[in-house]
Amino acid sequence: MSSMKTTLEGYASYRGREGHWSFLLHRITGLGVVLFLAIHIVDTSFVYFAPKLYDEVLNVYRSTLFGLGEIALVFCLFFHGVNGLRIAYLDLFAPQNWTIEKTRRSTYIALIVTLVLWLPSAGIMLYKLLYHNYGLFGG
Amino acid sequence: MTTTTRPVKVKRTFEQTAWLWMRYSAFLLIPLAWGHMILQDVVVGVHNINADYAIQRIANLGWKIYDIFLLGFAFAHGMNGVRQVLRDYIRNPQTFQVVSIILLVVWFVITMMGAIALLAINQPLGG
Repeated sequence: MSSMKTTLEGYASYRGREGHWSFLLHRITGLGVVLFLAIHIVDTSFVYFAPKLYDEVLNVYRSTLFGLGEIALVFCLFFHGVNGLRIAYLDLFAPQNWTIEKTRRSTYIALIVTLVLWLPSAGIMLYKLLYHNYGLFGG
Repeated sequence: MTTTTRPVKVKRTFEQTAWLWMRYSAFLLIPLAWGHMILQDVVVGVHNINADYAIQRIANLGWKIYDIFLLGFAFAHGMNGVRQVLRDYIRNPQTFQVVSIILLVVWFVITMMGAIALLAINQPLGG
């Protein structure tokens, strides 16, 4: 436990700027996605093992709380994917570009690409959430 | 002065293979996972999904193969990621080995649940 405290304090106080932030964001988004994925594989398998339970789970997913969580999940998967591509490309094809200056720039590019993908998706999802759960836009 | 090089074959360790596969699977998961998420979460939306829809989709051979690839690559990538994160915090190699085995069992059980559902459903309801 004490090593956990040291780690978290290190995460908060380390001044690695962009590289540090993208490392943290990559971890947090990855852990978020895999947590959802484990639950999602099990709940989807209910469609075979317990079809009634499957529809009940979907009702939970349709709630506003989970709808907002879903929008966050989409951000996580977009960021983890864009940043993961950046890491995989640099590691496998252009390791000479792992310099502080170039990494700073590519981190910002990854964040911008993520937002370009996420913002319209989030807009559509928010629209559907308001339509179905609050009767807005004629729903 | 001449220098000579002697090529040495070094056996790749498990961790090196895992490191490479995290990157290979990343390239595969971009179309697989993003495609699945954009279709189901954004285009179709959770309010239009029900058991009928899911069964119909899994019964389709093309989507079945897509989902098998997605299940295999995404969850293995994710669980190995969890293992990598935990390795940063667990100093004791024996503890880490026990944790790795637990993760492997969790990965196997959940993957099998998904795989059985994917393989068992072969026709739409009432079909």
